[in-house]
Amino acid sequence: MAGALPADHELAMQILTELRGPRVAAAFACGGLLALAGALMQTLFRNPLAEPYLLGVSGGAGLLALLGMAAGLAWPWVSVLAFAGSLLALALAAALGGRLLARDHTPLLLAGVMLAAGFGALIALVLSVAPIERLPGMLFFLMGDLAWTSNPFMLWAALLLATVTALGLSGRLDVLQLSPLKAASLGVAVAPTRWMLFTLAGACTALVVAQAGSIGFVGLMVPHALRKTGFSGHRVLLPACALAGGSLLVLADALARTVIAPRELPVGVLTALLGVPMMLWLLRKP
Amino acid sequence: MSLVAHRVTLQAGPRMLVDTLDLALEPGEVLGILGPNGAGKSTLISMLAGLAVPACGQIMLDNQPLAALPPLTRAQHIGVLPQGDEGGFFGSVADFVALGHYPFGVAALDLAPLFAAWELADLAHRPLDSLSGGERQRARLAQLTAQQPRIALLDEPLTHLDPAHQARLLAWARNEADAGHSVVLTLHDPNWAAGHCDRLLFLYGDGRWQLGPPAALLTPASLEALYGTGTAALWRKSDRVQPV
Repeated sequence: MAGALPADHELAMQILTELRGPRVAAAFACGGLLALAGALMQTLFRNPLAEPYLLGVSGGAGLLALLGMAAGLAWPWVSVLAFAGSLLALALAAALGGRLLARDHTPLLLAGVMLAAGFGALIALVLSVAPIERLPGMLFFLMGDLAWTSNPFMLWAALLLATVTALGLSGRLDVLQLSPLKAASLGVAVAPTRWMLFTLAGACTALVVAQAGSIGFVGLMVPHALRKTGFSGHRVLLPACALAGGSLLVLADALARTVIAPRELPVGVLTALLGVPMMLWLLRKP
Repeated sequence: MSLVAHRVTLQAGPRMLVDTLDLALEPGEVLGILGPNGAGKSTLISMLAGLAVPACGQIMLDNQPLAALPPLTRAQHIGVLPQGDEGGFFGSVADFVALGHYPFGVAALDLAPLFAAWELADLAHRPLDSLSGGERQRARLAQLTAQQPRIALLDEPLTHLDPAHQARLLAWARNEADAGHSVVLTLHDPNWAAGHCDRLLFLYGDGRWQLGPPAALLTPASLEALYGTGTAALWRKSDRVQPV
């Protein structure tokens, strides 16, 4: 039967199943993972402005990925380096600031912010000495771009697994919004639960960054907006974040591919351009 | 249900706060803890709740070491009202109060009597962060009562409460004690302590402590020894302000 199809139809099918379809699927999973990670980070730090890259994940990933690109490595290796960089940043943040997590999250926050600043400086250094012809690829990685994502199945498996795991914690996460002392008095093991949050949010973020670079804003805006519109219980908030984050990134990526077609924009530019006005509009509401 | 502190020592760094305290909390009593800022009142509350481990000594709940109890089991018996810190909570007053029932699982709790008791019915659907200080304190008290603890440890519960709600808190504490529960309060008001506590614990902040009935402990001399010279004047009748 396939032979009976007109050639252009066959080509269209091929584009749909081998290029567009996987990319849309990957965009949804990446957006969902980022928004989920953002919601978990906001609960970990009891702060509505926390986001997935707060602990320097994007900086660590960016630095190693850019070093790989500068050395002329191909994409799968750059992706592996980005993943390793994320884990390095998380391990450093945990080692430097994680000691008092049962009572106080501020040292972890400060360690993460300092690491992000340090990685930022090193990234600027690499950009300033890298061969000029490699700069566009580097900038696309730093802004986040879904053109590289090769494996939507792995991302979807991660999204489902992370959502289910987070949902299993949702009762405890509701209580963790209270002060650490109050949460402990209600029977929640604060330090282990906070480390679970740290690990889960970190793993989600590291996976996305290794597949698509540092796509900004989804992880901050989606959970923040959903909390603002009245989703406070995690049992509803977390799946809502996964759905809304995924949808937002699919929309942003569709625009990134089409607004100046045939050229593409980094999807991170679109998420920020869509996100900033939405966020400002939300902040107007009392 | 009895909570016993056996030879408990509290330290803040090198500083000795409470030296070898022996305290047996009886069912049906209201115990007031008084002492200057930094004397270890809040730390002692955390220790008694099993949320911090004393430098020396042991806390026992019904002859079992408190530290050995699973957190959820402990939370089904002991409730704490820590000093306010609600910065991380973004939900409604009703959601906030319901969290108090967490140790008993997700089974729905009828919140209406709690809202009535703490006059929160009109505020139930407001975001917690839109409440005034006193209203928020009432929400925190309602959250504690949703936990229905047999031993309630309250750190400065009078904070921000107007006289009407202080009276309500007083009635609640007496009611709990009459039901055979124990209530511990940290306070800064000797008059409140004199009228409404069965026993008092003075913490001097340098290791010394004193335990006894209010009539024995609350004298101008002992208050000056606790808080510093000149402080007794705060509670002496003055000629310049006529009592109403």
